[in-house]
Amino acid sequence: MAQQANIGELLSMLDSSCLLVLEDITAVFKDNLNSDRGPMLVNALVDYYLETNSQQALHILSTLQEPHEKHLLDKINEYISKAATRLPTLSLLGYVIRQQPSWKHKLSQGPLLLSLLKCLKTDTDVVVLTTGVLVLITMLPMIPQSGKQYLHDFFGIFGRLSSWYLKNPGHVAEIYLVHLHASVYALFHRLYGMYPCNFVSFLRSHYSMKENLETFEEVVKPMMEHVRIHPELVTGSKDHELDPRRWKRLETHDVVIECAKISLDPKEASYEDSYYSVSQPVSICFQHRQTDPNASPYIDTHSSYGTSTSTPYSASRLTLAQMQGQLPQILSPQSMRLSTEPQQVTIWSPSAICGMTTPPTSPGIVSSESSHSSSQPYSKYFSTPAGGKGTPLGTPATSPPPACISDDFVHISLPPAAATPPKKEDKLDLGRPSLSRQQNVINSERASEVPGSKSSVNLSDLPEFLGCLASDEDSVEKDREEDAISKEISEITTADAEPVVPRGGFDSPFYRTSESLPASQRKPHSVACSVQGHSLSSEPVASSLDKLGHEGAQDTPKQAFTPIDRPCGASDENPAGNREGQSSMETSIFTPSPCKVPAQRRVGFGSGQPLSYEHLFEVALPKTAYLFVSKKTEELLKQVKGNQNEDCTSSTSPMEVLDRLIQLGADAHTKELNKLPLPSKSADWTHFGGSPPSDEIHTLRNQLLLLHNQLLYERFKRQQHALRNRRLLRKVIKATAMEEHNAAMKDQLKLQEKDIQSLKLSLQKEQARYHQFQEEHDNIVAQLHSQIRQLQHDREEFYNQSQELQTKLEDCRNMIADLRFELKKANNKVCHTELLLSQVSQKLSNSESVQQQMEFLNRQLLVLGEVNELYLEQLQHKHADKSKEVEMMKAASRKELEKAKFCVQQQSQRLDASQKRIVELESQLSKKDHLLLEQKKYLEDVKIHARGQLQAVESRYKAQKRITQAFELEILNLYSRWEKDSLLKKLDDEKTEAAEAAEERLDCSIEGFADSVTGYSEEAFGRNGETKPPSTRGSSSSKGGSSSELSTPEKSQNQRMGQFSNRREASMLPEPSTSVPLTVGSLPSSKSFLGMKVRELFRNKSESQCDEEGMTINSLSDTLKSELCKDPSLEAKVPSNLDNPSPSPMNQEGSVGPLHIMDYNETHHDHS
Amino acid sequence: MAEDSQRNFRSVYYEKVGFRGVEEKKSLEILLKDDRLDIEKLCTFSQRFPLPSMYRILVWKVLLGIIPPHHESHALVMKYRKEQYWDVYHALQVIRFIKDSTPQVEVFLRMHQLESGRLPRNLAFPLEPEDEVFLAIAKAMEEVVEDSIDCYWLVSSFVNQLNNKYKDFLPQLPKVLEQYLNMEDNRLLMHLKACSAMSKLPYNLWFKKCFAGCLPESSLQRVWDKVISGSCKILVFVALEILLTFKMKIMALNNTEKITQFLENIPQDNTDAIVSKAIDLWHKHCGTPVHLV
Repeated sequence: MAQQANIGELLSMLDSSCLLVLEDITAVFKDNLNSDRGPMLVNALVDYYLETNSQQALHILSTLQEPHEKHLLDKINEYISKAATRLPTLSLLGYVIRQQPSWKHKLSQGPLLLSLLKCLKTDTDVVVLTTGVLVLITMLPMIPQSGKQYLHDFFGIFGRLSSWYLKNPGHVAEIYLVHLHASVYALFHRLYGMYPCNFVSFLRSHYSMKENLETFEEVVKPMMEHVRIHPELVTGSKDHELDPRRWKRLETHDVVIECAKISLDPKEASYEDSYYSVSQPVSICFQHRQTDPNASPYIDTHSSYGTSTSTPYSASRLTLAQMQGQLPQILSPQSMRLSTEPQQVTIWSPSAICGMTTPPTSPGIVSSESSHSSSQPYSKYFSTPAGGKGTPLGTPATSPPPACISDDFVHISLPPAAATPPKKEDKLDLGRPSLSRQQNVINSERASEVPGSKSSVNLSDLPEFLGCLASDEDSVEKDREEDAISKEISEITTADAEPVVPRGGFDSPFYRTSESLPASQRKPHSVACSVQGHSLSSEPVASSLDKLGHEGAQDTPKQAFTPIDRPCGASDENPAGNREGQSSMETSIFTPSPCKVPAQRRVGFGSGQPLSYEHLFEVALPKTAYLFVSKKTEELLKQVKGNQNEDCTSSTSPMEVLDRLIQLGADAHTKELNKLPLPSKSADWTHFGGSPPSDEIHTLRNQLLLLHNQLLYERFKRQQHALRNRRLLRKVIKATAMEEHNAAMKDQLKLQEKDIQSLKLSLQKEQARYHQFQEEHDNIVAQLHSQIRQLQHDREEFYNQSQELQTKLEDCRNMIADLRFELKKANNKVCHTELLLSQVSQKLSNSESVQQQMEFLNRQLLVLGEVNELYLEQLQHKHADKSKEVEMMKAASRKELEKAKFCVQQQSQRLDASQKRIVELESQLSKKDHLLLEQKKYLEDVKIHARGQLQAVESRYKAQKRITQAFELEILNLYSRWEKDSLLKKLDDEKTEAAEAAEERLDCSIEGFADSVTGYSEEAFGRNGETKPPSTRGSSSSKGGSSSELSTPEKSQNQRMGQFSNRREASMLPEPSTSVPLTVGSLPSSKSFLGMKVRELFRNKSESQCDEEGMTINSLSDTLKSELCKDPSLEAKVPSNLDNPSPSPMNQEGSVGPLHIMDYNETHHDHS
Repeated sequence: MAEDSQRNFRSVYYEKVGFRGVEEKKSLEILLKDDRLDIEKLCTFSQRFPLPSMYRILVWKVLLGIIPPHHESHALVMKYRKEQYWDVYHALQVIRFIKDSTPQVEVFLRMHQLESGRLPRNLAFPLEPEDEVFLAIAKAMEEVVEDSIDCYWLVSSFVNQLNNKYKDFLPQLPKVLEQYLNMEDNRLLMHLKACSAMSKLPYNLWFKKCFAGCLPESSLQRVWDKVISGSCKILVFVALEILLTFKMKIMALNNTEKITQFLENIPQDNTDAIVSKAIDLWHKHCGTPVHLV
């Protein structure tokens, strides 16, 4: 709550007059907006704005940041749906959108767009509709992509509004319809520019219906005459133009320019395109021609120009120059800059259109129709030659001739005048006609101005215009016209209002510094011509004129010398202000034809802005002038603003100033209107179709509002253009930089080429030298080669010679060797022969001695021969015979040999026989062995056989033995049972007697046995003791101890005693299990305690009474024992077998084993 | 000769088709024709092939030494056996250990106890585990053998063989089983170990009673063929095969008691297959036996 109150306070302070407070409040609001995200503050601001129309609130709202936009849009949406607040809300929305907020893409997402469309579809208030359409048009390029879903809504709105114009269902004032039509026209352009295919198809379908045919003929068709064929119609398709990729690259201003490009309308079209100029010159000429149909000289002169111009180019030049020449004279021939401005004025003058379309004297439909029809050929006629003209005029930068000139200008910078020589010539040539024309123009201007300025006249004119427009359906121009008219009215009103405002503004420092020339001039003019006719106004005019002259002179050189200065100067000023001023200036200047205003503004952008930025390109003279004019107007505006808001603040934007200016003007105008005499008013009102005069004020207000909206829309367009221009400029700068770079590169290239050339030359020289050297070198080499060859030849010869000599040398050596060898041989021979010689001599001496010996031996031989013959004779005499004895011996030996041989034969025969015998015997032996083996096998077999049987038998035997044992066991068992039974009977008898003496005996027995026995044995002994005394009373030893009893030499019980002692021993030894040894000891009764008791009872019985019985039992046991002892093989087994039936463990058996043996031994001993 | 060649010619096809035992029967007949029966050969044959049921009793008796290898003494020995049987029987009747109404099995038990000298003092004496084993085996044998004398002798000899010949070997069988189970199916072993059921398997039933009461007689006698012929390892494989066959059920059981209970009462429907597989497994692990203990 506190906050709300706080907000209320703040809001009330928002429109405070104090500057500081204002700043503070704004800051506070911004802080609040930054900190608070809630919708409250925004809502409050919106409410406040709607209540008070506060500019501050509007400012804050239009600069809202991201998070708040939702609330704002919601709020706006809310108010739009209410009829009462619709109009101001729409204008607020328009303001906000025109600021191009960062969240503009969200516009299409919210319900706002829908409700806006709904409003446009359903509302019947023209003012609201116009405002809404303008908002929509502004919005469309911002949401090209997301808006496509509402495409048919847009088209529907277009269809509705276009037919509205014709049908006028609300029966509103035609003047509204003019506004509405203008906005519809803009919508047409926008839609056609953005979605041509869809739009055309819509048109096709919508206007193919019969009921719409009239609308098409009357409204749409004329619109279509002002657009050229959209390229998208050829290349694109319905889907393609809705493709997001198409819009992705384009910014808002791109879209706007795109739309402007396809327009043939000079007021809509963009300057960038060459074909734009087609329309411009037409309009120029058209306008010129039609400015004043009455002023024939103008037409004449114009036609004379037309005739004088031989070539299109020169014609264009001429016309240009003419205009330049003549128009300056209209206002002030002192400066060229001024002249351009009026020229532009004339070019764009809507008055021409006014004249064309509406001859003021004849407001009939037929006449207008005829004029229209007459205008058509003109336009056609002029359009053809204008093609060449337009380019230099409209776009000097792009067309070659002006570019050259501009280049010249830039570099050479002609100081004396910015005007080009041809222009000067033109001026000279056309001096006179221009004069006359100037007057004409002035006249026409005045003529139009006067009625314009005079409210009464103006008012009277308006209906005429409107009537014409209403009848004449050539809408486009007329729309503009209408707008212009309304604007003009407002301008005039402002002009009227100006005097109300203190005029000291001209004298103010603003005025001086700003050097506002034409506008200030103009305004005084208009002022002078105005009804009021202030004397004051003339003075400033004069002074301003003087100043103009002075400052114009100052300006011209400046501009001419330094083209750079110009933009600097322009940039010094606030560009916005510049534009602002320009537009306002124009509105103020071109009174007669206010329809030019938007177009004029465009021109201002198109020409003025590039000028202000670009210093690299020379601009055609008219443009520079125009720039200056705009500057001046801006200054003027500043001044005006200063006048208005001197106390407020100088920092407020000129836009706001303008808005306020217009509003103030409107107020002033209403005052003026009220002052007017009623009759005239009423007379005028009748033209409106009898609408009551009280409505008039309202109508005018609405008109004003509409005008304001239109203005804002145009401003928005201008902004888009500015953006685009900036971008273009950047591109241009880049391009020039690249060009310079290229030039520098080219220079470098040239230098390098030169270098290459020189290098090539030196290379050639070097090559020549190199060749020379090569040749010399070759020569020397050849010489040397020949020398070498000669020398080689010589060398070969020498070599051959040496070879020959060497062979000779070799031969000689061989010969020497041979000779030496022969010498050796010879020497050897000599030596040998010498040796032989000595040997021979020796042999000789030997042979001589041998001959002597031979002679001696021969003699001896002879002697011996004679002796031999002598001995032979002696021998033959002595021969005797011993042969008989030898014969005998031989015979004896032969006989003996025979005998021996016989003996040997005998022996060998015997041997054979014996050997045979041996073999026989051996075979027999082997047979016997075999037999033996078989026998053995058989034996074995039999053995096994027998063993098998034997085993069976043995097992049988064993079984038998077991059976007998079992039987014995059974028998013994039965015996023991029987004995026990009988004993028990006896015990029952004895018990009665022994009852009294039982206790003391028991004591004694305990005394005797306390240390040695436990458990049952103790009890048993106790019982023993119990039973004994009565039985052994007669015996000497009645001590009650069994040990004493043991020692008693009772012969009858000897065996039993042995048994008993044995049992006792056994019972003593394994104490823990007394029963088992007892059973072991007492062989027959092995049935634990029962058996033992039986034994004891049995013993007692035998002791005392039944001796014979005891004897029998003892003998039985003895026989059993002896039996057992007899079988030594079973001796070991028996105890175990006996034990087996009892569940005695094996380990006890082991300990019992030796005991048994001892037992047996004892028993044996006893026996024996 | 002609018969022989025909038999051989067919035998090839018998083998291929999978009829085993046709050939064996003939060869067993040849073996049994020998006057002195070769016990070694009979052992090997019995281990390698299933015995034809018509010769089973004869072969068992021979192998267990109830009748000697000589044919001619068979009658005599059997006479002795018979007499011995009746003697013992009579004795037991005399000492009133058995009556006419006493079941055959208990008669056998008492006779065996008497023969081995372990007859209890009276009838009320509780049965020992040994006796339980005997009873189980006797019951199984009774089904196989019709003649009560033969039956008694077979049971008695079989038990004696278990107690004497395999005395040392039987306690080791559980370990052997674990070893082979590890080789055959490790997971099952792990499961059994995890359930700590390995030590509580029905070893008593398997190895002491030689599956008597566990397997139906038709399957059991094939196992006993091997046991009697000298290999008690077959018991391990039968046990192993039982475990493998009922693996899924055993794996599903987590409780030791449940496993033991299940194994003690295995379904009797496909025991023949189990035994066949067990024999195959046994052959696989121990090789086709020439002579095994």
